[in-house]
Amino acid sequence: MLGPIPLVILVPLIFLAAALFFQKFRNWLTSMRTAIRLLVAMAAVSMIGVLVGQQLPPEAYTERYGDVLGLFVFRSGLANVFRTWYFVLLGALIVVSTVTCTLRRIVRLVKRPGRRISATGSLLTHLSIALIAAAGLVTALTGFRYPAPRYLEAGDVIEVPEGGFSIRVDAARTEFTEEGSLSEYLTDVTVFEDGTEVLKQRIEVNHPLNHRGIGVYQYEMLPSSRSIQHAFIGVVVPVSETAPLRRDITAVPGEIVQIEGTDLSLKVLEFLADFTYDIETGTAGLASIRHDNPAVLVQLLEAGELVAERWFFMGHAGHRDDSDLPCRIFFLDYIPDFDDGLTRFEFAKQPGTPLLFAGLGLLSLGLCLTLWTRRPPGVA
Amino acid sequence: MDTRPDMVLFWIALWSYLAGTVGACIYAGVRKPSVRGIVYGVTLVGLVSQTIALGVRWVASGHPPVTGPFDYMLLLSWAAVLAFIVMWRTKGLELLTVFAAPVGVLGMGVASLFPSRIEQQLIPALQSYWLWIHVSLAALGEAAFAVSFVAAVMYLIGDWRGWERLPDKETLDMVTYRAIGVGFPLFTIGALLAGAIWANSAWGAPWSWDPKETSSLIVWLVYAIYLHARFVKGWRGVGTARLAVLGFLMTLFTVLGSRFLGGLHSYGV
Repeated sequence: MLGPIPLVILVPLIFLAAALFFQKFRNWLTSMRTAIRLLVAMAAVSMIGVLVGQQLPPEAYTERYGDVLGLFVFRSGLANVFRTWYFVLLGALIVVSTVTCTLRRIVRLVKRPGRRISATGSLLTHLSIALIAAAGLVTALTGFRYPAPRYLEAGDVIEVPEGGFSIRVDAARTEFTEEGSLSEYLTDVTVFEDGTEVLKQRIEVNHPLNHRGIGVYQYEMLPSSRSIQHAFIGVVVPVSETAPLRRDITAVPGEIVQIEGTDLSLKVLEFLADFTYDIETGTAGLASIRHDNPAVLVQLLEAGELVAERWFFMGHAGHRDDSDLPCRIFFLDYIPDFDDGLTRFEFAKQPGTPLLFAGLGLLSLGLCLTLWTRRPPGVA
Repeated sequence: MDTRPDMVLFWIALWSYLAGTVGACIYAGVRKPSVRGIVYGVTLVGLVSQTIALGVRWVASGHPPVTGPFDYMLLLSWAAVLAFIVMWRTKGLELLTVFAAPVGVLGMGVASLFPSRIEQQLIPALQSYWLWIHVSLAALGEAAFAVSFVAAVMYLIGDWRGWERLPDKETLDMVTYRAIGVGFPLFTIGALLAGAIWANSAWGAPWSWDPKETSSLIVWLVYAIYLHARFVKGWRGVGTARLAVLGFLMTLFTVLGSRFLGGLHSYGV
């Protein structure tokens, strides 16, 4: 419908409107009032992230806030607020505002070169915000961080995702001080590339393995689920009806322990941290590697002759009939085997980290220069 | 009562600060130099006791006392009281120094709510020299924020009830600004930079949006708003004083909140 003359008028008008809008937007974005409002908005949204637990399963929110509000929290993104479009937009606006202001300051600094130190500090401070944002963007787009899918024990090998190498666990143990306080989690590993050994290293908390841009971190450590150092066994021998003989013994797995005052002895054969029984195969096994249902397989001997071989469960005495035995046996407690543990790694690729450190370093330097060399405003 | 040397010194310091607080209240009413002298004296006794208590805990544990909420509040209040004492000799700030004792009472009172046992063996996550850098610089920054808070509260009281018994408004405004000017870079270096470096080696990422990290960011943002408002907009007075108060309340929330909000920092303060 539009002829050549209206188009001639319309196109410049559109350009003019766009230019005016851009100028207004730029003025709005570079104004201090806007900067302060953006910072206030960022603080407010961040506060939501502090008060509302982040990245929990949906049921956690309905449990905490009720059905309606819980669902709203989950669906509106408040449950993962730092990844919502409005948080990202807010961050982007702050960065653009900061960069634009910085460019203005550079021009002003070149034109009026007074108070160079504090002005340079202010420039560094504002530029660092752009660096920090760039670091976050690089990591968000190309980085990752997640725990390994399984626990590993000595001899196990795991492929490192996107790393092009694999790790074999040589030893995994927890160390304690002489007083019994937890001292360190240690995992000795060997790194392989294409089946060839390239590196041996110890991974500890605060001392990750960094190889080919991937960080391998000590994430969790559990004691062995199949072995223990000592089992504490209670034995009650009915020598007389009124005064049964009670003995508490410390058994090292695999060693026969004589029960004092009797001709009975016992030997702990096996340990399972989370006992389960497969009825079809008739074998005992592990339900999990957690120490949720510890059990020991005990061999009872009388005058050196095998009397019985049974599983005993910690905290479950009296749940079954052991009246055929010459004594009652209780699995009281145990000392886990921390020398042959189960380790779990976390894999992380954070390519923006050097940029982030540079940004935070510049920010710190800039603030020191700005605030520690500048005369406070309002002071002559 | 605990008879461990550090705890005896702790209680001496706390009672001294309590006496100083009572004295400060009396001084606010009578304005006699002799009362002020007594307030300074007992506050100084408290500070010396607290300093020795920190030293004893350092020697007994084998590492700087910065690892639990008790130690952290002890360090934070010590640094804040020290900052006030430093201002003692500054002309026009004598009255402000009187508030060192209440700040000491507040900090040590909060500390007394937490277990005071001395941990010789740190858990693996805390076995890093970044712990000392991160925590001590953050605490120093927060202590400076405490000073700005007191000055800002006095400013607001003056604005509300009149200035007769208070330092003049320009002095209070300047102390608020200067304290934030000292604390903000320290907080940035300690809480954000050193924290990020340590988090990267301990947790696999320099930033995890953990509740404590995020609330530290909010503290940073509040003081950034304060500085922008003051530097560029030239704001003064009640508005900026309110911001300084908000900043310190957020700081307290950051220090104590992670006890209740959980997250990666929940083993410490």
